[in-house]
Amino acid sequence: MDKHRNVFGEHLWWVRRGFFAGIPPNGTLLWRRKGRVQDQMRGQISRRVFGRKAVGAGALVAGLLAVPRVTHGASQPWGCLRGRFVYDGPTPERKKLVVDRDIECCGKFDIRDESLMVGPDGGLANVFVYLRSRPGNIPPELADETPERVLLDNRDCIFIPHCLTVWVPRQKLYIVNSDPVAQNVAFSPLGDRPANIILTPPPGPTAEALWEFRRPQVAPFLVKCNYHPWESAYILVRDNPYMAISRPDGTFEIDKLPAGRHEFQVWQERIGYLQVATWPRGRFNVEIKPGTTVDLGTIRLPPALFQT
Amino acid sequence: MNFPEDRGFVTSARLWGPQSPGSTCRRVVALFLTLMIGSGCQEPPGASFRLNLEGRDPAEISSLAREEITRFLEELFGTPDEPRLPPGVDLDLGRLKQAAGHPVGDVDAQGTAVIRRGYYRRYCARCHGISGDGAGPAALVMDPYPRDFRRGIFVYTSTVPGAKPSREDIRRGVRDGLPGSGMPGFSRLGSDVIEALVDYVIYLAIRGETELLLIQYVVDEEEPLPLTVPFKERFVNEDIAFIASQWRAPEVEPDRVVVKPPSAPSFDDKQERAAWVQQGKEIYLSARAQCSKCHGLEGAGDGEQAGSLYDDWNYPKRSPDANQTEKRARLYTLPLRRLRARNLKEDLFRGGNRPEDLYLRIAVGLKGTPMPGAGGSPEVPGVLNPAEIWQVVWFVRSLSGQLPRCLESAGHAK
Repeated sequence: MDKHRNVFGEHLWWVRRGFFAGIPPNGTLLWRRKGRVQDQMRGQISRRVFGRKAVGAGALVAGLLAVPRVTHGASQPWGCLRGRFVYDGPTPERKKLVVDRDIECCGKFDIRDESLMVGPDGGLANVFVYLRSRPGNIPPELADETPERVLLDNRDCIFIPHCLTVWVPRQKLYIVNSDPVAQNVAFSPLGDRPANIILTPPPGPTAEALWEFRRPQVAPFLVKCNYHPWESAYILVRDNPYMAISRPDGTFEIDKLPAGRHEFQVWQERIGYLQVATWPRGRFNVEIKPGTTVDLGTIRLPPALFQT
Repeated sequence: MNFPEDRGFVTSARLWGPQSPGSTCRRVVALFLTLMIGSGCQEPPGASFRLNLEGRDPAEISSLAREEITRFLEELFGTPDEPRLPPGVDLDLGRLKQAAGHPVGDVDAQGTAVIRRGYYRRYCARCHGISGDGAGPAALVMDPYPRDFRRGIFVYTSTVPGAKPSREDIRRGVRDGLPGSGMPGFSRLGSDVIEALVDYVIYLAIRGETELLLIQYVVDEEEPLPLTVPFKERFVNEDIAFIASQWRAPEVEPDRVVVKPPSAPSFDDKQERAAWVQQGKEIYLSARAQCSKCHGLEGAGDGEQAGSLYDDWNYPKRSPDANQTEKRARLYTLPLRRLRARNLKEDLFRGGNRPEDLYLRIAVGLKGTPMPGAGGSPEVPGVLNPAEIWQVVWFVRSLSGQLPRCLESAGHAK
């Protein structure tokens, strides 16, 4: 360290102030990012980007958001956020995927595209909603309630579930093969270790694997299987538990949020950041009050938004 | 990209080379050129690193964001002419400086031209680019493409899946080259030059990964601009420290990270050896190892997966939809290129064809490609044990007739 300071101290003046004394030698770090303050400059950027990209979408989603409804409950230090995503159009047909490998096993399943999952009454599943700002205090009971493993099953020649969340360092990804053929699980999250794992048919120790993520990500990343190119899944890795994936009926809920104003991010695999009129870059702000639930109501999404 | 300074040196090197008879006049001209370059009076305008915009619409990045990213990266890593190191990154700055910059030549006591610094631009940048983006002037015509260092992923390694390569892995690539690709071996340059290049490649890789993270923070996450000191501190303390620790791991904890092939089995008995090859073949074809999926039943690289393989650099360029693929392709420097599974019958292996090399390829896989490691890692159990990996190695070698003839007479069926 001293060597670097002597040579580079001039330009890295803030290095000299001893900021780096705390780096653990083995590099195991606590990931901590302070709350990101909305400042004037960022506001300008958001507006500019939004102005260019969302003009078309803006017209279509006018009147999109219901006024948040607040229900008061028992006095608790935490609040809750909920809502429901609805695909505002006829239920799109899910394209049949080309299954041309391991046909004797996988050919018998009706494997279809999972990138836009609309339920019978329009509910849109698999939309990620997650806290973007720093949460502050996380209630300790949340850690106790959260299982240490998140299951990613290879079953019927697809990944189940298709979308999942991992809270690091609390949770690990538990990958299992339930098929009579070998499976592969490959992903390379930015800045974290890439994985390319073979899972043999069960039973046996090589039919499962436990994977530990080392750092959080800003958005979900793709998981693929090199043996079966039609398979895909998305994993969101965050350093807090405040994330949700909309259920088959389109509803989502994030509970035990600390009181305060929070920024949330919305992401959908077909289009990435779910950018609508009132949510530049798929982001919105909500004031959470103790013991109350903020209900965003029904969020109607026009089909045009999903045409890529 | 052009290298006026480089051309000057090539001229003088050719004139001063021992094979060139050369008149006195030419020698004087060459000496003059060499001195000029040496004294720096032909110093070209400073080179700069190209911003990594792979897969991004350049319009989505404001000029302020570009400037901030460039300035902060320069603060941390310097320029291609004057490299710096952020704290926590353990590389030899002296060697880096030798490898960096424009090539500077000299004449030694025997009158032979020698190159004193600027090795990277002299030997590597034509293919790998000044920024290590694998998109140098010659990249387009190379197959496979030159490695883009900026993702910090190297394919031929001796480290467990998910780990960074060891220093020795990079050194081996530079020294011995990758047979069957455009990458030549540079052993003739001597160990000092190679060590400097190894440092410089790792420097470009760490810089490249840092850049990707920084762009993500500034562009995707809209970090307030100009970047604040607390942000920079966190970035160095957390992100760069994490990347640097990953690069240190193979040197710090070799027992956990680096795979050492157990010694190869040897056989006196022909029957025994043939049986070993046969077992390797069975594993090769088994549902457990899945080798034949890509490499084909006969090892000709024509398995059922062969048409749909892409490496990590090309995979994001494609999409199941042709229009979409075309649209995405415009956001990348080099066109989409499919990956071919190796034809094992050719006995041409990029990571080397010694049995230990093949053992490592099977045990740890090829990082950044669909080829997984069968030997497992501290976290993930391997699907093959060391003896089984050796059996597959023997089988693979037998495909190209690299085993003694006695094996065939002993009943080994191809």
